[in-house]
Amino acid sequence: MLPLSLLKTAQGHPMLVELKNGETYNGHLVNCDTWMNIHLREVICTSKDGDKFWRMPECYIRGNTIKYLRVPDEVIDKVQEEKSRADRKPPGAGGRGRGRGREDGTGGRGAKGMGRGMDDGLARGSTGGRGRGGPGGRTGGSRGGGRGR
Amino acid sequence: MSGRKETVLDLAKFVDKGVQVKLTGGRQVTGTLKGYDQLLNLVLDEAVEFLRDADDPLKTTDQTRRLGLIVCRGTAVMLVSPTDGTDEIANPFVQPDGA
Amino acid sequence: MSAGAGLENLVDQIISVITNDGRNILGILKGFDQATNIILDESHERVYSTKEGVQQLVLGLYIIRGDNISIVGEVDEELDASLDLSKLRAHPLKPVIH
Repeated sequence: MLPLSLLKTAQGHPMLVELKNGETYNGHLVNCDTWMNIHLREVICTSKDGDKFWRMPECYIRGNTIKYLRVPDEVIDKVQEEKSRADRKPPGAGGRGRGRGREDGTGGRGAKGMGRGMDDGLARGSTGGRGRGGPGGRTGGSRGGGRGR
Repeated sequence: MSGRKETVLDLAKFVDKGVQVKLTGGRQVTGTLKGYDQLLNLVLDEAVEFLRDADDPLKTTDQTRRLGLIVCRGTAVMLVSPTDGTDEIANPFVQPDGA
Repeated sequence: MSAGAGLENLVDQIISVITNDGRNILGILKGFDQATNIILDESHERVYSTKEGVQQLVLGLYIIRGDNISIVGEVDEELDASLDLSKLRAHPLKPVIH
C-alpha cells in the first residue's frame, strides 16, 4: 500500500501532522496531492514546545515540511476496501491504469512512462505506475513506474 | 480521482483577504493576498513580519516590522492560512498531542 | 530504481525506524513508496532515558515522510520480546543536524 493512497483515503478524517520545525497541526484533511501537500480544516496548531495553541479555520501545508502524519487507525482498512473495489472494476473504468490514449495503441505521449509527470497528478498517486502496459496493468505498477518526486 | 491538478488549495478564495504565511527557516508574515501562481509564489500587500526571538529563531515574538508589498517565493512557503478566524487559544487538549 | 526496494520483504513485519529528530518508532510496515515514505501500523515510540527504563508511547497509524527517516531496521521479534525494557537505560538520540 502506498503512503499517499492511505493519505488520500484519510480525506475527511481528523489527523495530526507534525512539521519539521516541530509544530503540530490537528485538523480534518480536506485534500492532498502527490507531493503530500495537504489542506486541513478546523485546525489547531500547537507550538514546538507544546505551550502555545492557535485555532485556524483552515490551512495549507507544503508536503516537504511534514515530518509525519498520524491518521486514525480505521483508515487503513478503508484503503483496502477501496482497492479491492477498484480491482473489480473493468479496465479503463478509472482507478487503476487509466491508459490515456494507449488503449488504442496511439501511444500519445510518454511511451516510456516518463513524460511530463505533472498533469496526471493524483492518478499517479493511486496507481503508482504510469500506466505502462495499459489498462489493468497493475503489475508493473507500484514499483518501476512513477519517476521520482 | 479528485480532478484537481496542481493545487490542493484554491488560493483564489483568499485573494484580497488576510493570510498568514510561514516560510522555511522560520519567518512568519501576514498580509493581504494580492496574487499567486501555481508554484505558490505569493504577492502580499501591507505585509508584516513577526520578528523572532534572538535565542530561539523558531519562536515568534510580538514585535513586528512592516514590509509593505512583497513577493514570497513559492519554494519557501511552508504554510498558508487565513488570518480571519485564526486566534491564539488556551490548551484545548488534556495533554498536547494526546488527543 | 526505487530507493525503497529493500523494504518490500519487510512488509507486514515489525520494523524499527529511527527518525532524523532522534525518535525510535516501531510498528508494522504496511507500505512505502519511492521516496521512502512509510506507513506504520500499530506503531509506538520508544523513549530512552538514562534515568529510567524505556517508555513506550502508543502512536497508532503513522505515515512517516521519507525525508525524516534515518534508519529502517528489521526487528527480531523473538529477541525483542526477551528484552526487559523497563531495565534498559540509554541516552536519547540527538537529532540529525543538516
